[in-house]
Amino acid sequence: MVALARKSLLYEWRRYLPASLAVAFSGMLLLVQLALVFGIFDSAAVYINSSRGQIWAGYPGTQSIDLGRSITRDARVHLLMDPQVAQVEPFQWVNGDWRGSRKLGSVSVYVSGINPAADGLVFARVIPAALRAKLYQPGAIIVDRSDLPKLGIEVGQSGILNGLRVHLVGTTNGLRALGGVNIVTSLATAVRLNAGGDLRPAYYVARLRDPARAAQVAAALDPHGAQRRYSVWTAQELAARTVHYWLFETGAGLGVVFMSFVVFLVGTVITSQTLMGAVAGSLSEYATLNALGASHRALGRVVMEQAAWVGAAGLAGGGLLSAVVLAIADSQQVPVAITAPGIVACAVLVMAITLLSGLLAVRTLRNADPARLLR
Amino acid sequence: MNAAVVALARPAVRGSDLVKHFTVGRVTTPVLDGLSVAVTGGELTLLSGPSGCGKSTLLAILSGLERPDAGRVEALGQDLRALDRRALQRFRLQHVGFVFQGFNLFPALDAREQIELPLGYLGLSRAQTRRRAEEALDEVGLSARRHMRPAELSGGEKQRVAIARALAKRPQLLYADEPTSALDSVSGQTVIDILHRAARLHGTMVLCASHDPRLIAHADRVLRMEDGRILADEHHPHPFPEEPSA
Repeated sequence: MVALARKSLLYEWRRYLPASLAVAFSGMLLLVQLALVFGIFDSAAVYINSSRGQIWAGYPGTQSIDLGRSITRDARVHLLMDPQVAQVEPFQWVNGDWRGSRKLGSVSVYVSGINPAADGLVFARVIPAALRAKLYQPGAIIVDRSDLPKLGIEVGQSGILNGLRVHLVGTTNGLRALGGVNIVTSLATAVRLNAGGDLRPAYYVARLRDPARAAQVAAALDPHGAQRRYSVWTAQELAARTVHYWLFETGAGLGVVFMSFVVFLVGTVITSQTLMGAVAGSLSEYATLNALGASHRALGRVVMEQAAWVGAAGLAGGGLLSAVVLAIADSQQVPVAITAPGIVACAVLVMAITLLSGLLAVRTLRNADPARLLR
Repeated sequence: MNAAVVALARPAVRGSDLVKHFTVGRVTTPVLDGLSVAVTGGELTLLSGPSGCGKSTLLAILSGLERPDAGRVEALGQDLRALDRRALQRFRLQHVGFVFQGFNLFPALDAREQIELPLGYLGLSRAQTRRRAEEALDEVGLSARRHMRPAELSGGEKQRVAIARALAKRPQLLYADEPTSALDSVSGQTVIDILHRAARLHGTMVLCASHDPRLIAHADRVLRMEDGRILADEHHPHPFPEEPSA
């Protein structure tokens, strides 16, 4: 059988290029918006992702890390009883009210109380040991550099947090939070800032001897039964819960779905129009084939094969484009994150765009009526 | 008796009391008005007449591309009215070839692929398809140009490829609509010779609609049409068969 679909594509590539480009850009838009949304919402889980522990214990059913409530100190002992657990430390979570300069009014902040020791787990990836050590000073705080304008202070200056005077001992990168300012203090300072509140920590973080066994250990340590007073998750689990919660709490998830629908629509319109144009341009040739006995179904298969090739080319081009765009974004500190299921979902959507466009173009073949060739 | 004489014995296509109207807006125009005709195999029959006389419509109806409003079409003993769209397609695939005024070749395919393409739908093997395509190219004298695309061929050569595409199917019925109108006189002459030879050589019924007066001298039979009717039916005996194909 003569490979009509492929030969036409190669010979008349200019005719089909707009369709492939439409597919490629649709794929790129789908993937990049997904990467951006996940990148932004990943920062909701910054507490988990920038810490070294593999296991987190917190209030049962906690949906997002910022919704933590105090848990029993027994959790610490239970975690330590597992031979796999090498180290456990508490993580204090306090909601705060910041007053810096009078011009900026008050700012809602999240206070994280951490262990300032050099081998401390929480924020170990973003606060180096020397900086951590400065938290031993009573009232010392560390913030992300980009949050300084919001707080209205510089390193060495002080402000009022929950009615207590605190002073900024240093800044770091990678502490940016979603929807507020993160302020890091020692556990002791955090307790003082939470005067009158529940003094027990919201989480315990544990480091395992073998990080690869996190899932098993978490499952074994998670108290079952209705009376449980805390839950145990792996770090990935709690991070995923948090991102998921923010995606849907803020409506961003719905936004992604809606935007994907718009991209799908635009991609399908452009791709199908191009394919229809290509079919219309060869209508008398198709009509001649039909006169000679080729069925409309056989001709439709040719058009669908062309659509599939256009989709494959677009998929490859879109993948390349996405890689370039995401690399640029990453190099410019734009938060992007992409997962394998995300890539697969985008690829499936892109192929759906081309197949739907192909089906729409097949309808154009109805006009391939050989009787019209005899005027 | 050879095959051509057998084919002459009974009509390959017969249309009886054919009526066809075209409606544009509220105006209905009769194109064919109770026309009857029988065309036999082994000869080149020319439908001649001014444009708008209904010859293309008659061609479309006799070939099964269009249905008459009334009347009956019988081709190779089959009542075409009784066939549904799919069966008609099947019938055309097995028995009918077409040559159109516009050559309608796929720009991406070379001459041989143009011919192989419809053969693929006949379910022939790769080797058979290739052999038939080569034979057809040979018959129209284009073997040397088998690897050229339409853009590299002249108008006359394109029409010869289109004829080869129709002939390679080995149809009993071959319909040609204004096959020479877009060609210069030399190319037109070549094309009509090829069609004539195909009729003689394979016993094919060749029905050709054209207002090109140059063709009249080459036809075995001329049906002169005007206003949807046949005014004259002339037989032109050709005592000397044309040269066999190279």
